[in-house]
Amino acid sequence: MRRSIDVVTGILILLVACSCNGTGNAQPTPPATPLKVGLGYIPSVQFAPFYLADQMGYYRNAGLDVTFQNGDDAQLVTLIGSGALDIGLSDGTSVIPAVSQGIPIVYAGTVYAKFPSVVFAKTSSGITTAAGLAGKTLGIPAKEGSSWIMLEALLASAGLTTSDLSISTYPDYGQLVAVEQGQVDSATGFANNEPVQMQLAGDPVTVLTVDSSTPLPGPGLVVGTSTLAAKKDALRAFVAATLHAMKDIITDPQAGLDAAIAVVPELAQDKTTQLAILNATIAQWTSAYTDAHGLGAIDPTAWQKSVDFMSGLPDTVVAKPVTVDQLVTQELLP
Amino acid sequence: MKRLQAVLPIAAAAVLFVVVWKLIVVVGNYPVFILPAPEVVASRFVRAWADGIMTPHTITTLSEVLIGFGVGAALALVVGYLLARSRLAERLLSPYLVAAQATPILALAPLIALWFGTGLTGKVLICALIVFFPVAVSTMVGIRSVDRGLLELGRSLRATRWQIMAKLEISAALPQILGGMRVGVTLAVIGAIVGEWAGADSGLGVLINLARGSLFDIPLMFATLLTIALIGVSLYLVVVLIERRLVGAR
Repeated sequence: MRRSIDVVTGILILLVACSCNGTGNAQPTPPATPLKVGLGYIPSVQFAPFYLADQMGYYRNAGLDVTFQNGDDAQLVTLIGSGALDIGLSDGTSVIPAVSQGIPIVYAGTVYAKFPSVVFAKTSSGITTAAGLAGKTLGIPAKEGSSWIMLEALLASAGLTTSDLSISTYPDYGQLVAVEQGQVDSATGFANNEPVQMQLAGDPVTVLTVDSSTPLPGPGLVVGTSTLAAKKDALRAFVAATLHAMKDIITDPQAGLDAAIAVVPELAQDKTTQLAILNATIAQWTSAYTDAHGLGAIDPTAWQKSVDFMSGLPDTVVAKPVTVDQLVTQELLP
Repeated sequence: MKRLQAVLPIAAAAVLFVVVWKLIVVVGNYPVFILPAPEVVASRFVRAWADGIMTPHTITTLSEVLIGFGVGAALALVVGYLLARSRLAERLLSPYLVAAQATPILALAPLIALWFGTGLTGKVLICALIVFFPVAVSTMVGIRSVDRGLLELGRSLRATRWQIMAKLEISAALPQILGGMRVGVTLAVIGAIVGEWAGADSGLGVLINLARGSLFDIPLMFATLLTIALIGVSLYLVVVLIERRLVGAR
């Protein structure tokens, strides 16, 4: 009896010892690094990579605790510069004037490799090139911002200026309706929005893009310089996880749509339109440059051309000279 | 000496405001794009006026404010008088007036821009709408508070209806009416800016958006806010001066 008690005791001691040994060797899980991420004005299918990366655990597995915050572009740029947001998706054309005004931000990864702001018109309008806009009417939300810069660049490519056409403002973003109803011949919009909706409505549409003449920098991942120094590894992990999700969505757009619907259930009301918008968005993520250098790659030559173009505009928003090195960093890209 | 005594507290408050502002910037070590120091804003204010950026936008906004206030206040005087003197008019109009006042002008402005365009008409309408309620209510209260004995006296002296209204009622109600106009004129400035945010090519509201969203020139944004505040204060003082001339200092 005593022998069996000794055996059981021995086994118990061994088990406890093993258990203690196991616990003692386990590395404590490091706390996840919190990252506050700024996205566009309202949640939408265009932010599917962020939603998918979050839902698939790409951020969590990279040791990140990500929270999203929506806001307009000007607000995001300032919040990123102040450090209130760690990283955000913001217009490249906003980064140039912001840095020229001393806001400490830097563009760290391309999301939209093509400039998404475009001019669109009904095919029946006869407008097929930028030169064809001369003497026509055009609707635009405001005579400022990325759409206005794109319009100036597009017209300049045909030797025109904004005074060569009649421009009406549609601050309520009613320019799509204005084109459909024939109030204006053309309008500015986003390649993944108004032209998609027109095509779905059965209206053949012509889209004029600026990429071939002036490669303006599209929306991308923007970080504050102090945040970049303080959280470089976490930010690098965030960029990698987001690019991973973008690749997933390029392969399987439906996964991106499902991720977006999980965040914004209202999108499920019209899945066909939302999928079309997502497909048009995916088309904006790649270019000849990203095909050669990888998704998210930043083209310094294109940035230099943009700086030169924007600095030379009569109503330039670039207050002081800036260099590409001040505007972009390659440090966070894989 | 009396004038100096009146101006001294105002100047002291302004100095205190600037000192506290500067202290916040220094203690908080805020960069210019979060909170520019007062001297930075002052310098940008002078530069914006000197290089001509501010002038066309100020003229646009001031025109909208003055026309909108004129239209809104004139209509409000008529309606306010009607509300004071006609039970039927009060019953018919009051619910709509209160509903219009309760509807946020921020929500209405884009609709007005859609219906009336982004030109002067839409801005004037927004200013008039925002001015209308305080002036109409103050007119109504002022007319109703006119001493009944005074009105009886006028009638006994065979004054016509027009004479009673012009010489007795409106004169007696002037302090309240001008009180409403003090509020209305500052609200008109807000109305013009909101209207410009809903869509415009020019105006101080447009300049704020440009400075904030396209230029990222925060000192210019503050300089524009200062200009707007100065317009509001100046118009308020004009109404006060008119009040003093017509009613006397109280």
